[in-house]
Amino acid sequence: MSIVKANNVSMKFDLGIDKGFSFKMLFISLFDPRKRKKKEYFWALKDVDFDIEKGEVVGIIGSNGAGKSTLLKVISGVMKPSKGKITVNGVLSPMIELGAGFDVELTARENIYLNGAVLGYSEKFLNDKFAEIVEFSELEEFLDVPIKNFSSGMTAKLAFSISTIVNPEVLIVDEILSVGDIKFQEKSKNKMMDMIRGGTTVLYVSHSLQAIKDICTKVIWLEHGKVVMIGKTEEVCNKYYEFQMGKKEAI
Amino acid sequence: MIKNIINNFKRYSFLIKQLVSRDFKVKYKRSVLGILWSLLYPVLMMAVMALVFSQMFKFKVEGVNYLVYLMTGLVMFNYFSEATNIAMTSVVTNFSLMTKVYLPKYIFPLSKCLFTGINFLLTLIPLLFIILFTGSGETKCVINVYYLLLPYIFICLFLFSLGISFIISTVSVFFRDMFYIYGIITTIWNYFTPVFYDISMLTPGLQSLFKFNPLFMFIDSARQIILHATPPSVSMLISCGVVSIVTVIIGAAIFKHKQDKFIYYI
Repeated sequence: MSIVKANNVSMKFDLGIDKGFSFKMLFISLFDPRKRKKKEYFWALKDVDFDIEKGEVVGIIGSNGAGKSTLLKVISGVMKPSKGKITVNGVLSPMIELGAGFDVELTARENIYLNGAVLGYSEKFLNDKFAEIVEFSELEEFLDVPIKNFSSGMTAKLAFSISTIVNPEVLIVDEILSVGDIKFQEKSKNKMMDMIRGGTTVLYVSHSLQAIKDICTKVIWLEHGKVVMIGKTEEVCNKYYEFQMGKKEAI
Repeated sequence: MIKNIINNFKRYSFLIKQLVSRDFKVKYKRSVLGILWSLLYPVLMMAVMALVFSQMFKFKVEGVNYLVYLMTGLVMFNYFSEATNIAMTSVVTNFSLMTKVYLPKYIFPLSKCLFTGINFLLTLIPLLFIILFTGSGETKCVINVYYLLLPYIFICLFLFSLGISFIISTVSVFFRDMFYIYGIITTIWNYFTPVFYDISMLTPGLQSLFKFNPLFMFIDSARQIILHATPPSVSMLISCGVVSIVTVIIGAAIFKHKQDKFIYYI
């Protein structure tokens, strides 16, 4: 049974929204028909179709603005697709942007609970895992310091430790393994490999083909919101590399 | 459906708790008196209002302890206006969170209404002192058995505020001018609710119109109990319940219908 299934998923953004409605524009458009608001749409995803089986580690690649992050947001439920359907059969842990819901005024200790609650953990779970989170983050000494005084690396380490404490069935990762110093990077990479070995399905977005080749069993290549290719890691990565390089030469 | 709502509620109750306690922590961070302000602020505000209305303007309402009359209305109206105002902005100010993780969006207005609710409960302490230690003779208020009805009225007030919060927070996502418009609306609503004056001061036509104001229904019921030690009529109690439940259902329906579009209007 597939654990993540996308059926003709399309995502449409209305580019006109920011211009919005204002009385000034209404007034102008009365006299000048050319200024009337045109409907401008942008398809961030168009008819994306794929199946991910349990335990697969799927890389998602594509140029900037290809729709990778939008796809992750649709899968994690942050956005509802304009068309089509996404089904996720399992507990999902999104690591799209770390530290969602951190309040910089609060201490690390308070933020562990707040961020944990935002990620959907229960109180009991957090109480049990508190020590483990703190230990992994290497921030024992700074537990009662407001995180506005943290360096960005420290904040990221804390956020990473909180969001990886669960054993989710589906893990969504958006280029976050480059968090902290080298030692922490190694540690976080190991942590993710542990999860993969434990049978977690992973969706991994990265621009580093090396990182993709290291861990992924399958790759989805997106371009302009459409799937260009789905297949074996080596094959898709090589094609993608050629495409990227070819584009450069053409310019 | 109701089972679903309750389950969802249970699942996110810890998050609601965290958000409410975050609001408290952040609000009083760095202030010397801290959480004491939740108590001190309403006391001082009450003192000012008492001074202005009963000493400067010499407002009176026949046969009752005016101070208690004023404070009961004020505390309840302030709950409504504060809760709805901060709940309105809660959706927009939490946009960055909504784009990062999936959360049921109703959590934001709800947690703000609860946060203000806790503050409201704290303001009942000074109100109780005013009830106990002011007035004399005929106007002396007594704690009576009908006080048991007060929680019901307060829950109605809460639900009504929550319903309105759902509606205006939805509107404000699509139409940010609402932030300013609603400030005006609450001011108008304040004067159209007999908080510091008596409804009998108005013309009969206005009186019958004002009686449809849900806030007045809640405030008047509470005053009946506190000032006159008599229970509000059964029909009044039922109307309070119906108004608040209908409001919260309409609000929730509007919010639910529009919430998937919020993300496009960041």
